[in-house]
Amino acid sequence: MSWSRRNFLKNTACGFGYTAFAGLAAEELARATGAEAPLAPRRPHFAPKVKRVIFLFMQGAPSQHETFDYNPELEQAAGQTAAADGGSKQAGKILPSVYKFNKCGESGIEISETFPHLSKHADSLCLLNGMATDTPAHPQASIFTHCGNITFVRPSMGAWALYGLGTENQDLPGFVTMNPAPVGGALSYGAAFLPASFQGTRINIAKGQDPIDNIRNARLSQGAQRAELDFVQQMNREMLERSRVDNEVEGVIQSYELAFRMQTSVPAVMDVSKEPESVRAMYGLDRKETQDFGTQCLLARRMAEAGVRFIELGMQGWDQHTQLRAKIASNCAAIDQPIAALLTDLKQRGLFEDTLIVWGGEFGRSTFQQNNSGDGRRHNNRGYSMWMAGGGVKGGLRHGRCDATGQAVEGKVHLHDLHATMLHLLGLDHKRLTYRYSGRDFRLTDVHGRVVEEILS
Amino acid sequence: MMHFSAPRGPALAGALLLSSCLLQAQPANPEGLELFETKIRPVLAKNCYACHSAEAKTRMGGLTADTREGLRSGGQRGHAVVPGDAQASVLLEAIRYDGKLKMPPMGKLPDAVIADFERWIAMGAPDPREGKTQAASTIDVAQGRRFWAFQPPRRPKAPEVRDASWPRGTIDQFLLSRMEEKGLRPVADADRDALLRRVSFDLTGLQPTVEEVEAFRADPAPTPEAFRRVVDRLLDSPQFGERWGRHWLDVARYAESIGRTRNAPFPLAWRYRDYVIDSFNRDKPYDRFIREQIAGDLMPAADDAARRELQIATGFLALGAHDLNEPDRKLFPADVADEMINVTTRSVLALTVGCARCHDHKFDPIPQKDYYALAGIFHSTQVRQGLRQRPQFNAAYFDRSLAVPLAGLEESQDPEYERLWAELREAEKAKDRDRVRALAKQIGSLQLPGNLAMGVAEARKAVHSKVNIGGDPHELGEEVPRGFVQALYEPEARLPKIPRKASGRLELADWLTRRDNPLTARVLANRAWHHLFGRGLVKTVDNFGKMGEAPTHPELLDYLAVQLMDQGWSVKALIREIVLSRAYQLSTDFDEDNFQKEPDNALVWRMNRRRLEVEALRDAVLRASGELSLARPEGSPVSGWRRNELVRPGNKQMQAWETEVSYRSVYVPIVRNVVNRFYETFDFPEPSETHGARDVTTVAPQALFLMNSDFTLRQAAVAAERTLAAASTDAERIRQAYRRTLSRDASEAEVAAAERFLAAVKEGYSEPPAPARAGRKARKEKAGADKARKRAAKGKAARKAKADAGEAETAGAAPAVGAEQAAWTRFYHALFNSAEFRYRG
Repeated sequence: MSWSRRNFLKNTACGFGYTAFAGLAAEELARATGAEAPLAPRRPHFAPKVKRVIFLFMQGAPSQHETFDYNPELEQAAGQTAAADGGSKQAGKILPSVYKFNKCGESGIEISETFPHLSKHADSLCLLNGMATDTPAHPQASIFTHCGNITFVRPSMGAWALYGLGTENQDLPGFVTMNPAPVGGALSYGAAFLPASFQGTRINIAKGQDPIDNIRNARLSQGAQRAELDFVQQMNREMLERSRVDNEVEGVIQSYELAFRMQTSVPAVMDVSKEPESVRAMYGLDRKETQDFGTQCLLARRMAEAGVRFIELGMQGWDQHTQLRAKIASNCAAIDQPIAALLTDLKQRGLFEDTLIVWGGEFGRSTFQQNNSGDGRRHNNRGYSMWMAGGGVKGGLRHGRCDATGQAVEGKVHLHDLHATMLHLLGLDHKRLTYRYSGRDFRLTDVHGRVVEEILS
Repeated sequence: MMHFSAPRGPALAGALLLSSCLLQAQPANPEGLELFETKIRPVLAKNCYACHSAEAKTRMGGLTADTREGLRSGGQRGHAVVPGDAQASVLLEAIRYDGKLKMPPMGKLPDAVIADFERWIAMGAPDPREGKTQAASTIDVAQGRRFWAFQPPRRPKAPEVRDASWPRGTIDQFLLSRMEEKGLRPVADADRDALLRRVSFDLTGLQPTVEEVEAFRADPAPTPEAFRRVVDRLLDSPQFGERWGRHWLDVARYAESIGRTRNAPFPLAWRYRDYVIDSFNRDKPYDRFIREQIAGDLMPAADDAARRELQIATGFLALGAHDLNEPDRKLFPADVADEMINVTTRSVLALTVGCARCHDHKFDPIPQKDYYALAGIFHSTQVRQGLRQRPQFNAAYFDRSLAVPLAGLEESQDPEYERLWAELREAEKAKDRDRVRALAKQIGSLQLPGNLAMGVAEARKAVHSKVNIGGDPHELGEEVPRGFVQALYEPEARLPKIPRKASGRLELADWLTRRDNPLTARVLANRAWHHLFGRGLVKTVDNFGKMGEAPTHPELLDYLAVQLMDQGWSVKALIREIVLSRAYQLSTDFDEDNFQKEPDNALVWRMNRRRLEVEALRDAVLRASGELSLARPEGSPVSGWRRNELVRPGNKQMQAWETEVSYRSVYVPIVRNVVNRFYETFDFPEPSETHGARDVTTVAPQALFLMNSDFTLRQAAVAAERTLAAASTDAERIRQAYRRTLSRDASEAEVAAAERFLAAVKEGYSEPPAPARAGRKARKEKAGADKARKRAAKGKAARKAKADAGEAETAGAAPAVGAEQAAWTRFYHALFNSAEFRYRG
């Protein structure tokens, strides 16, 4: 031990507290103190294509037929009676898209007219039109989307990513979720049996709320707080001296310094007020309909830039059993410009190439209409659409196809395959990323999953 | 055109291969098979597999059409194909389009094809297709039984030790002999202060009071004798059960809502919580404790009170997290049974029998058949949680008739409830969504009668389970008689016989607690050791199988297990013997030489310093501030909730009990999916599964909580107020504060440092802050204090208000008084934040 923990503490004892740590990157710190920092960056299994993930989760099961799945078969089969889906007994008449699709970009992939902004990024999108999942019930499917399992409580994909890779900025949480859907609850960003430090941190984006619990001290100035913390750390160091070698007490000392820094770094990353007006306008922060999701997207870019590993954004209300036409239009309007802005912004800042952006809901919708209303669709888990963009995936590609019954018939990508592919892009082999719990090794993909090579660039 | 053979090449080849074997076993029917291959199979493949396929995992309506088994067992509407019986074959009804069900949905098949199917079924529906088949077990149970954990424990001879003066008892002899082998020397004994803090936290979850510290110091008897008296006092205190009961509640995955996707509250769960705490306090023999929880409803009782206790005990099996929204009618009961198998085997046996649901256990000698032997027992058991599965419109979940009526408490009829419930049934029948919802809301808000509990009962019929091939309840293999885990008993052992009409739970309970069950006593002894030393003799406390860790001291573990049984399964006697060992009373001192040889301290050359669990941490803050109430609250706030309202994050009924009530942490409601942030931040275990050991993490949100939460700030203010009111000099107050929080005296240097800190705060306080802001702030705080006092006067949230007033008042008070209060508040706050406060040494 040339650079032992005790030496480190002795040598830096005078300014040990704040100043000694402030300048140290986490990895150096971990090396210097020998303490195992669970969130310290770790080497992936192989060279990664991307460093981080931004997951845009559309809870409610958005209709692929009005968004990203152009299916001319529906026109031909319009009015025919089609299959009922799981659980429901009714069948219905095939309903072609209520919105027009346009050929976009050089690739000419079709995107619905409800996405005028995002269409401009068509050549960057990899549409997955043959998605499939196990169940057409919202709560189970939401949990399945996040955790790859519904039978048991399992870690979420963000937690797996942190477990595999740690995170780059030790002043911020490595896995954040904004506006999580109440359906599925905390399980969707939980760590289950993984160490608790891998669980997602819920960021409150509502105005007037602290972004993270207890991030502010309502009663003390920073100086007064620092003075108290110095006194606390003095006691802690004395305790460490008494016990000589003690990783745990060292861990406590470090956790206070990180907490103290987070009080500044978290509000700083959350403060979008200093973004130039042009950027705020690009994300639609100036308009009511785009403000919410625009804020989330802008925060996602800021966090990506700051080194957060896994960022999830949330938009709910995609369950169009009725009011298909109106609700799809308003939902798309709420996310179209913000997502397009996010892609543009990431590209401009050189972040697009090492970020994976994933868009999608927990399943999709039937090709036939609900109650022959012509304005609603039922659930469908046998075929739906998601998309990916960013590093390592082919842009301007449509992968997969559903038939007129809504069944994925070509290029089928099961959620397990999606998970495997996401991990692959992060440089992780989904079969090797295991955690031993209760006597056996667990994976995000359980015993399933195939990396979808066809979509990799 | 989709054709079955193209995408399914390899699977089909396998199926054909199997079918050729099968054909030899079945009476040959070449004509029928010809018909099947030419007319039936292609039609099924083209029209049905897309939605009804085991291989593609699409099983609409529960039906798989790509295996013979699947077609015959059918789906939710019954058997799709019954050989020779056109009437009973749902498939025919569907393809004829003459009933409600019309298949395939894209259009009626040609009449000729329908005629083929009619002919085929009339011929006995010959079908060579084999689905997934039950693989023959390759597990050699007899061989597997030789594993150390599956051999019954025997009392070992205590080993000789070189330093005969060190051990105080048998436990010490075992430990010292291993240390001597490795050249380790135990460190010095702990001093009285450290010892008292340690044993008080370990046995009651509370730090000692200042008076208790003083009494122990002043006891003129030699330490071992004085300590023995302390241990007896703690074991006899009601706080013991609250501490050790909570350990069991971790194992029993206790929670007050069902969790998963339809998170309905459990308004009756608290009865089980109190039962557990009382059982530990009364030192109920552990074997009886287990028997009651598995089969209390089937055990004899002297009177109604005893009967009620037994009924409540079975809440253990009923507290599982189930998916009330599971639409698959075969999967739901299979999952419920699975949950009971998991909790029973992991908690009592520390075995992962649940792994054998889908296949033979990969590591332990547990064939899949053993799992289904247990599954039969639990499929023959009714779980009575008081909740309906998939009620119409997700409305009326809670149903009194689905709970357990407690013996001797027959409530008089509740006409209001009866009337509303009858109306609800009508409305459900009429599919009147609004009415159903309104009624459910009303019913869910009625006063809960006092005669209900959660628990289990015998099912109407006792059944044997069939092996679920690949864990799939739609793919059935051979039937397995109800029984136990073979690896855990000798073939010649005379096991309790399960009567034909009984579930077998009573026999299971007997079998689990037999003296020759190799695991039950060992697992408990190990759990106790874990809670007292911070690490089990078997480190993997919930897994004694092959993938678990081997014991560091196998003979000591056996000694403790046998000792436990010989002393009538007394948990208190077990704990008493362990804490009276010299090893338990070692200091936490570092020793360079020992550390080099054995850094993990698995051989216990010193005591491990241990982090306080969230309950102990919260209770310690409240005790230090003087706010802690030791009275047990009645019931739980959850029983007053609207019972048909699902629990969601941000639910208005959820409150911050953990920071607002002053009773002990064990009584703060634990609600699945929305475990309060305080507990969650400090490693409270996910309450859907067994946890014999908790995570110990050190993360920034914990520091943020202690630094910035209202809870710690408020409690520090209360503590400061009390300190200022009580003792006289600053030095005396500092010493008091150290005793209240850290259970020890402050050193002279610490007193001096504290005095400097206090002086600095006071000095900082007297400096006038920026005028405009300070003025506004003071006014605001003054207003806050007034409001708080008014709230306090009303008696509502009195404690919170008092604390707020205490803090805020100082802002508007004379500077000297304000400065004093502020300084002592900061000082207590710093102590709550210190690492030492979060540990027991």
